[in-house]
Amino acid sequence: MIESLWEEIPRFFTYYNWIFLLEAAVRTLVLTGVGCLIGFALGFYLAIVRVFRGKKYIPLKVVTIFFVEFFRRVPFLVTLMLVFFFCQGVQLNVSVFTVALITVCLISASYTAEIVRAGLESVHPAQWEAGEVMNFTLAQKLRLIVIPQAWKVILPPAFSFFIALIKDTALASQIGVIELTYVGKVFNNKGFTAVLAFGTVLIMYYIISYPLARFGAWMEKRFALSKH
Amino acid sequence: MHYTIHFNLVWKYIPYLLNGAILSFQIAILAFLGGMIIGLLGASFKIFGGRFLRGIIQAYVSFFMNTPQLVQIYFFFFALPQAGILLSPYQAVLVGMTLNAGAYLTEIQRAGFLSVRKSELEAAETLGMSLPQTVWYVIFPHICKVLFPSLSNHYIIMTLGTSMAAIFGVEELTGRAFNVNAVTFRSIEVFIVTAAIYFGITVLASVTLVLAGRWLFRVKGKVF
Repeated sequence: MIESLWEEIPRFFTYYNWIFLLEAAVRTLVLTGVGCLIGFALGFYLAIVRVFRGKKYIPLKVVTIFFVEFFRRVPFLVTLMLVFFFCQGVQLNVSVFTVALITVCLISASYTAEIVRAGLESVHPAQWEAGEVMNFTLAQKLRLIVIPQAWKVILPPAFSFFIALIKDTALASQIGVIELTYVGKVFNNKGFTAVLAFGTVLIMYYIISYPLARFGAWMEKRFALSKH
Repeated sequence: MHYTIHFNLVWKYIPYLLNGAILSFQIAILAFLGGMIIGLLGASFKIFGGRFLRGIIQAYVSFFMNTPQLVQIYFFFFALPQAGILLSPYQAVLVGMTLNAGAYLTEIQRAGFLSVRKSELEAAETLGMSLPQTVWYVIFPHICKVLFPSLSNHYIIMTLGTSMAAIFGVEELTGRAFNVNAVTFRSIEVFIVTAAIYFGITVLASVTLVLAGRWLFRVKGKVF
């Protein structure tokens, strides 16, 4: 097994294979990054809806809670298939990449909604009441009082969710998005040993994820210290 | 816009899907228990072990936490046969999920062990407790209370993770959903039903875990 591995290595690491691999890595990052940014914006609004007071907002709140809980409790693969077949059903002519992107947006919106909510709840109720006393609107309260205090609580878990999502997007290979995992499958089908094909993909994921994870840990420590 | 939703074809497959959900549950439980054992050993080695042992555990945890579970299972499924170890799809998924869970649970349990303060142990010593007494009355309740929320959270994540087994041909909930989809061609309906079943089993698991946590360890948890 080891001999065949050595034989294959020069055939494996050719210029075009590298290009293929790196392009796929970029696609994984774009899928996660763009999906996470859109998802974060969406999740932020979903979290703010839960702060609304008053009876007329109850239906809106129920819908939001259902949305958030639904996508948090359904596997990535099933959501992906739902979006995929839904797009097919309404004859929306979109690429598989877009389908994966929509899925990532939906899932990251619901997860970040919970993260942001925890952040908003971490601000003491007295601060909200102080804003009320100053006759601030909700937007002013959020912008001037709550978010400056909450973002330190929100950012570390949001970042670690982003890193977890890089690994979850591996499932997008199942509908044919050409990202890292798909490349591993292609190399394996081309006849390279699985050790080489999937080993390289594992190492690529590690190279992407490990520095980000270290940065996230550093951020968590730093923000935890500066809170006092 | 020419799609009409017909659930009537899918209804009769619901018992079939629910049987698949039992297999999902089985995979999740087995992988979780295996991961707990690995995590317990890993966390103990990481805290009490020597430099060499700590390095190995650190490498294992960092590797499995920074690569996707799917690719890990692919690796076990396709690469191990070349080394002469033949795994069935079910075994490959179980091994992959157990090792992945082991890495995460090592980290979770380590954080739990480290949360026991020195002053607690000193207080136990002042009361004249023996080591088994200290472990049983001081360390164990403390660790359980700290660990329970993160462990139950990870269990839910693992339940969702079992859907990956479908890719390798294990007939659990998602795998059976693919089968039903192939038979009926009612894709959207099939996956809506599947998603609803996943929603149901994870809510059930959350409620059970929260109640168990309240009753056993006095953890105040919330389902939603």
